[in-house]
Amino acid sequence: MRINVKALLLFSVFVVATCGLIYELVAGTLASYLLGDSVTQFSTIIGVYLFSMGIGSYLSKFFNRNLIAWFIQIEVLVAVVGGLSSTILFLLFNHVASFRIVLYMLVSLTGILVGLEIPLIMRILEDRFEFKDLVSKVFTFDYIGALLASVVFPLLLVPYLGLLRTSYFFGLMNAGVALWLCFFFSKEISWTRYLKTTCIAAIALLVAGFILSDRITSFTESMAYADKIVYSVQSPYQRVVLTKNEREMRLFLNGNLQFSSADEYRYHEALVHPGLNAVPNPKRVLVLGGGDGLAVREILRYPSVEKITLVDLDPEVTKIFKSHASLVALNKEALLSEKVEIINADAFQWLRSNRQQYDFVVIDFPDPSNYSIGKLYSNVFYRLLDSALTPNGKVVIQATSPFVAPKSYWCVVNTLESCGFTTLPYHAHVPSFGDWGFVLAQRNPNWQFNTRYPKDLKFLDAATFTQMTVFPKDMPIVKTEVNKLNNQVLVHYFEEEWAQFVN
Amino acid sequence: MPEQTGRRDFLRKSMAALSGLAVTGGTIAACTGKAKPQVQGKLLGPSFKAGHLLRKGINVVPTETEEQEVVIVGGGASGLAAARWLKKHSDKNILLLELENETGGNSAAGKNEQTAYPWGAHYLPLPNNSFTELLDFLQETNVITGYDAKGLPIYNEYYLCFDPEERLYINNYWQEGLVPRWGVPENDLQQIERFQQLTEELKQAKGIDGKYAFDIPVDHSSADAQYRDLDQLTMLEWLQQHELTSEYLHWYVDYACRDDFGSALAHTSAWAGIHYFASRKAEASNSEPHRILTWPEGNNWLVQRLRESCTDRIRTNAMVYRVGEQDGKVAVDYMDLRTQKYKRILAEQCIMATPQFVNQRLLSALPELLSTRNLQSFEYVPWLVANLTLKDVPHGKGLSLCWDNVIYGSKSLGYVYANHQQVALFPEKKTITFYHALADEAPAAARGKAYGSSYEDWKAVVLQELEKAHPGIQEQVEQLDVWVWGHGMIYPKPGFIWSEDRQQAGAPYQNKLYFAHTDLSGISVFEEAFYRGITAARQLLNTERA
Ligand SMILES: Cc1cc2nc3c(=O)[nH]c(=O)nc-3n(C[C@H](O)[C@H](O)[C@H](O)COP(=O)(O)OP(=O)(O)OC[C@H]3O[C@@H](n4cnc5c(N)ncnc54)[C@H](O)[C@@H]3O)c2cc1C
Repeated sequence: MRINVKALLLFSVFVVATCGLIYELVAGTLASYLLGDSVTQFSTIIGVYLFSMGIGSYLSKFFNRNLIAWFIQIEVLVAVVGGLSSTILFLLFNHVASFRIVLYMLVSLTGILVGLEIPLIMRILEDRFEFKDLVSKVFTFDYIGALLASVVFPLLLVPYLGLLRTSYFFGLMNAGVALWLCFFFSKEISWTRYLKTTCIAAIALLVAGFILSDRITSFTESMAYADKIVYSVQSPYQRVVLTKNEREMRLFLNGNLQFSSADEYRYHEALVHPGLNAVPNPKRVLVLGGGDGLAVREILRYPSVEKITLVDLDPEVTKIFKSHASLVALNKEALLSEKVEIINADAFQWLRSNRQQYDFVVIDFPDPSNYSIGKLYSNVFYRLLDSALTPNGKVVIQATSPFVAPKSYWCVVNTLESCGFTTLPYHAHVPSFGDWGFVLAQRNPNWQFNTRYPKDLKFLDAATFTQMTVFPKDMPIVKTEVNKLNNQVLVHYFEEEWAQFVN
Repeated sequence: MPEQTGRRDFLRKSMAALSGLAVTGGTIAACTGKAKPQVQGKLLGPSFKAGHLLRKGINVVPTETEEQEVVIVGGGASGLAAARWLKKHSDKNILLLELENETGGNSAAGKNEQTAYPWGAHYLPLPNNSFTELLDFLQETNVITGYDAKGLPIYNEYYLCFDPEERLYINNYWQEGLVPRWGVPENDLQQIERFQQLTEELKQAKGIDGKYAFDIPVDHSSADAQYRDLDQLTMLEWLQQHELTSEYLHWYVDYACRDDFGSALAHTSAWAGIHYFASRKAEASNSEPHRILTWPEGNNWLVQRLRESCTDRIRTNAMVYRVGEQDGKVAVDYMDLRTQKYKRILAEQCIMATPQFVNQRLLSALPELLSTRNLQSFEYVPWLVANLTLKDVPHGKGLSLCWDNVIYGSKSLGYVYANHQQVALFPEKKTITFYHALADEAPAAARGKAYGSSYEDWKAVVLQELEKAHPGIQEQVEQLDVWVWGHGMIYPKPGFIWSEDRQQAGAPYQNKLYFAHTDLSGISVFEEAFYRGITAARQLLNTERA
């Protein structure tokens, strides 16, 4: 019986130590995800946590009677606070002004409670061991627990359980130990009934949290973004999120990065100028997708352009790019220009009923990651496009990365060619995206470019463009099928290639 | 633009891990959910009152008489195909009488704010290239946009079924294609493969007369007894003879029989069952051979095109109740359902594009005709079709929403997604058409039961089947309408297709009466309706090919 008590108590030391370190790691990881700058986050969290444990140890001297009962009580509190902490932090991130205060308060509270535990347990064990034995045993288990926690956290817990479930799981361990102790010492301690009830209530709460954590995750998007969210809205079509840090702004649609203000000029200059610059005296330009107005900003550099028609599905997107101060600054008020007509419509349907012809068409659709969007890259779509071009008109299409997804990229090229277009594939390096591909297309089999580009471009000039048309040895042309509505091969290529890249 | 990978993705994955538990979470949340929203809907079907009147019999002899050159009774695909043919190849004056408010028959369709949707026939497999009359019609209507250098038809890609075409929910997963594969044991897969080889061979097989063993139109198939005798077997017996016993394979072939004929594996003629797999040999310039043509409104699109050739020669709400003889002419008596008036048309010639169970009553004034035919042997399977408008179709594991979505093990045929052929990315609402052949009992018994069922009964059936693959779908449903086809499809029971009864029922009568309905082919498909219409028209014009 004695041996068992000792073993049990030492086991709780082990659990307490493991859980304690886990909560600390969870807090650190979470803070670096949510606030960025992991070095600062980890060192301040560890500092505050250790300091709080010190406070806890200090406070332990005020506990004089019913030590086991108190230990159990504190164990339950650790379970609840530790178990719920990551959920609370995720949920509050977007909603409270001083998120850091909440974060550090939670970290301190957990630290204090964990700090109380070891001294209390040492005192419970004090008359069951000799002092040197006691110190040696308790600290041995404490550090073994810490080692275990620090190894399983990055290798098993985060990848397989995720942060929320990890917290709940260890909360459950704490609460489980508490309940076990309740039963074990039920004769020796007072308020057993009350303690058992709280233990069971805590367990129920944590189990529910564990099971529901996926739902909780979907409530909170903060973990998806590295930077602070400055604007977010759910339109009927997608989730629009704008994040910001000291250096840049980023726009996400359904969690996919659309641009970073730090290097979008490379993307948009590469998208617009090679083609538009080659159209003599362009008057009418059509932009499909691209509701951010950044392509329009580049088009407006050509004084001959009289009218720009922008067709973007989502009114929420065009709205914020007309109204949000820093976005309007970014697109240089492009969408407020008198030359621009904004049409919020489905591009395919719109193009089917369109009768106007354009000198230049910019196509900036999302990547073909699903069958809906895949239609916008089909031969049927490109045939409609053909009838929307003036005889010397040109069109440019963003076509995913020829480096990561060569089949997808060349499939766009081949599909255009199958519709009778002559194409000119080219690519540019955009740091946020990597090596990015575009395709110029026209009816005329010969290309003629204008070597004089608008003056204040930051990235593109004639020499750069010439380089962009060269595909190095590791990015050769690949044979593909033609993307049709009735085969959607592009979506298949795209899924296959990006899945490989991600894994 | 590209997807940002790395940290975000890593996090998303780690959060989504152990999704098995998430499912439990979902159920718990669903149990505690609020009251279910009300599903709206109604019960529809072909004019029930008219059917009742016809069964009771009308004895009125109309006093108002008019003369017409050719009358066509019935404005389904076959009647309209006959009308089109007569218009194109003669200057005969025609008049088509249709009982319902709209022509189209079994190729009926409905419409909501977002999309049109089918109430019956919903697709046309790429037709065999030898069926030139049909190919011509498709070219006329721009379904075929031209022919390539090899002479293969180029199909209009708005009408070729968009990809992904079909998925099957099996072992809690939506797999691509309808042939069971996901989680199917190796031995079963081998049997399925062997079955496919057998049917592939039969596809190419020809009889001693040099004709394909299985062709479309059915009547172009070989007369070789080696093949025709298969009509005496059931499809189940045929599988058993070939030691094809796999439960998965049986499900698949049963599904095919119910899909095409409405009848179960154990009650369908093996000739008909094999025909489903072996009759189609299309070749197209821009599509794989086994693909299909479809429209949001299903084959109603096709019948509308047929109708365009004779729009001004159609009278709807015209219920024909008697076809007899007077002064050497055909006397067609009908009741105008709008005005309740009775009229007689005296026609030189008449095409009956009505099913034989209707003809049985309409022709009662011609006993010498009826006595030579056994129309009783024409049996029909009742069908249930439901159209549901949903906020969204719940996602499941595996392939995303397809045109055809089938649930393994379900008695229903799953559902077809009406918005599939729209190019728009995000339909505001989604409409699905649920198909269910009432094949569990003998047709007459099933029909009796079907007529006795209420809207609520059907709604429960539909939702119960859909819930199997889409837990919680009920909460997405805004509208659920139900249509019951009492005599949905001709039933190819063993022995029927190559029976005398079927042959005789199609024979013209005294160069006056011709017969066009699809049931004369023994299987219900658009190609046969088209063929029957043309054949009757040719017989009438006396230009029938030998
Ligand atoms: C649920 C269902 C799904 C189907 N799916 C497909 C499919 O996907 N693809 C396919 O190819 N085929 C399908 N079919 C088969 C379809 O029946 C045929 O393709 C075709 O539409 C049959 O045309 P029909 O003209 O021969 O017959 P019907 O469509 O039966 O036409 C007969 C017409 O006669 C009219 N009529 C009846 N009695 C009278 C009267 N007394 N007076 C005047 N008019 C009268 C009727 O109202 C009707 O319009 C399906 C059938 C059903 C029931």
